[in-house]
Amino acid sequence: MNKTLRISFSLKNTYRVNSILYSLKQVPILKRLLPGTLYQVHGLKVFANILSAIWEVASIFLGKFLYFLILLAGAGMLYKEAAADRLFLHILFFLTVIGSFANTFLFNPSRDKYYAMILMRMNAREYTLVNYGYAVGKVVIGFLPFAILFGHSAGVPLWICLVIPFFVAGLKITVAAVSLRQYEKTGDATNENGLSKLAWIGMILLLAAAYGLPAIGVILPAGVTAGGMLLAVLAGLISARKVLTFRDYRDMYQQLLADSMNQMDTVKKMAQEQSRKVISADIGITSRKKGFEFLNELFIKRHQKILWKSSKRIALVSLCLVLGGMLAFYLAPEIGEKLNRLFLTYLPYFVFIMYAVNRGTGFTRALFMNCDHSLLTYSFFKQPRFVLKLFQIRLREIVKINLLPAFVIGAGLSLLLYMSGGTDNPLNYGVLFVSIICMSIFFSVHYLTIYYLLQPYNAGTEIKSGTYQLVLSGTYLVCFFMMQLHMPTLLFGGLAIVFCVLYCIVACVLVYRFAPKTFRLRN
Amino acid sequence: MRFVIEHLEKHFEKKEVLRDINFAFESGKIYGLLGRNGAGKTTLFNCLNQDIKADGGNFYLEESGVRRDVAAEDIGYVLSTPTVPEFLTGREFLKFFIDINEKTISNPKSLDEYFDTMSIEPEDRDKLLKDYSHGMKNKMQMLINMIAQPNILLLDEPLTSLDVVVAEEMKQLLRSLKAGRVTIFSTHIMDLALDLCDEIVLLNRGVLEVVDKANLDNQEFKEKIIAALREEGHE
Repeated sequence: MNKTLRISFSLKNTYRVNSILYSLKQVPILKRLLPGTLYQVHGLKVFANILSAIWEVASIFLGKFLYFLILLAGAGMLYKEAAADRLFLHILFFLTVIGSFANTFLFNPSRDKYYAMILMRMNAREYTLVNYGYAVGKVVIGFLPFAILFGHSAGVPLWICLVIPFFVAGLKITVAAVSLRQYEKTGDATNENGLSKLAWIGMILLLAAAYGLPAIGVILPAGVTAGGMLLAVLAGLISARKVLTFRDYRDMYQQLLADSMNQMDTVKKMAQEQSRKVISADIGITSRKKGFEFLNELFIKRHQKILWKSSKRIALVSLCLVLGGMLAFYLAPEIGEKLNRLFLTYLPYFVFIMYAVNRGTGFTRALFMNCDHSLLTYSFFKQPRFVLKLFQIRLREIVKINLLPAFVIGAGLSLLLYMSGGTDNPLNYGVLFVSIICMSIFFSVHYLTIYYLLQPYNAGTEIKSGTYQLVLSGTYLVCFFMMQLHMPTLLFGGLAIVFCVLYCIVACVLVYRFAPKTFRLRN
Repeated sequence: MRFVIEHLEKHFEKKEVLRDINFAFESGKIYGLLGRNGAGKTTLFNCLNQDIKADGGNFYLEESGVRRDVAAEDIGYVLSTPTVPEFLTGREFLKFFIDINEKTISNPKSLDEYFDTMSIEPEDRDKLLKDYSHGMKNKMQMLINMIAQPNILLLDEPLTSLDVVVAEEMKQLLRSLKAGRVTIFSTHIMDLALDLCDEIVLLNRGVLEVVDKANLDNQEFKEKIIAALREEGHE
């Protein structure tokens, strides 16, 4: 038993340490500094081991802390009328029931289980029991301090707080035993990552019971929840016998892991399949154009679903919102008065909205998956003049696709500003409209430029460029933080227009200089 | 015409994959490139196709004593997994290709004539390429490379996953295409190399060398190749 624990622990640790080293190697700049033999370097290994140990401890406590803080204490504050102790136990009770079948450890087909039981042929029963024991132990130890801390501050008696960790563990073991028994009867293993419809419905109902019932004033009496908890502890003790004596772990995991390991191999295939699915099979689609315009027109028409159709849908929704707003201002002018100030200070917020509605990432992804992935292997396609010609055409297309919703949003904002009482400076209307259009063009240029300059995919359609991902996340973060920024529309709009125009010029110059060299398949 | 590689080097961090490649390929011949797993065959092709940058050395074409750089359009590269733009039909892909290369294609034929030479059936010509079988995609890829008439044709294990009929058709086609160009064919299948190729070249420990057949019969030649690969691989 001891040996099994040690081996499985070191296996998991090796896996984790190597993952840490691998991800370090993906970071731009850092990857140049790190040697190719980094998996042998002692110092780095020690560093990764420390991180791994921290992660192990954090996984015991951090998750539970956040769970209590947000889902119990935080959510509890929303119900001001309810008695804190009863509410605490009520929510905890229902959430624990969800966790008992949605987070089982036993039925989670994870990679380390596959490596240990299938590849390395460790004794499945021993491996499972040792690791399950460890997982249950982690639950009890992780829950204990926070159950006392948060429970006590909600006014729950100490003895119930002490029972909570054992209640959680007990219920998990009980459900595990039921699933094991079911496997013996039917031969079907439960997979917590592939829950049945019934389980999903159950989860929604339980969530509704946890948070919905208190909202209408129904909260389980403390006696009932405490009784339920004690019962679950008892059931857990009895069920532990089943878990310990179950004989067919090897067969069960064979089934469970075979299914999901196949899935892991096919993740890439599924991504390709997914991309293929968006290609329209309508044979009526043709083009009378020639050369690259021909290629482009067919691409746009056959990818309607993710390009024009979705852009039209966004434009329509925006139009409805604008009309709704106008109606509201008309019916109740006082709303308009209140909102008027917002139109004049909340323009930065729209950076995020324009970011969210832009079709650029979908466009470049489809471009690669369904077009460039194959064409880049042909040398004729990589001739500099062709690369640039196609860039021009594509830029025009993506700008067009994104302009439709931008036009509706920009014009709508100006209109709403007018309807909500207007402004002393008529320039505001223009700036509002033009800056929204500029933002839209900016995002279109941005995505296509980084695609051409960093071309992140390899022939196997995997993203190989850390820089590309950093730029994408950076874009998101900047847009997100724009929401916190409040600035007069005239000032921000003016700055945005100048920035977008400059950015577009610089981006196009860069593409013309470098894209013929950078627009290649990665290796 | 000759395709000459001089002192080509490529290393990934400290690992030298291509050490010092020197070779002159003659047009009109098919060269079988043999090497053990990880010997660097694909790296060599990627360098020649300019998908990755070499760390040193150069390569050029030599026509009647005049040297010139290799341009993108000089090279045709057929990968073992055929890649074709999935959203086009076979006919559209062919039309697109011919449209943008109309100035360089000598004596163009009609689209259907091209399909005929590849024995791609009429009912398949207007299907989306995403619905083509592996073999048909391979034919399509080969057809494009054939029309482009590149001076250098690089083939990375192109026949390995084809059924016997298509593989035989492709072999015939490669033979008919070899005049006037350098064809370099990488494979792991020795019999295929001996059957199809005029010269056998080994990539071993980062250098290229030709294996002279002299007057050996096929069996003796095979043994010589294996001995060479084994010996040098474990020095």
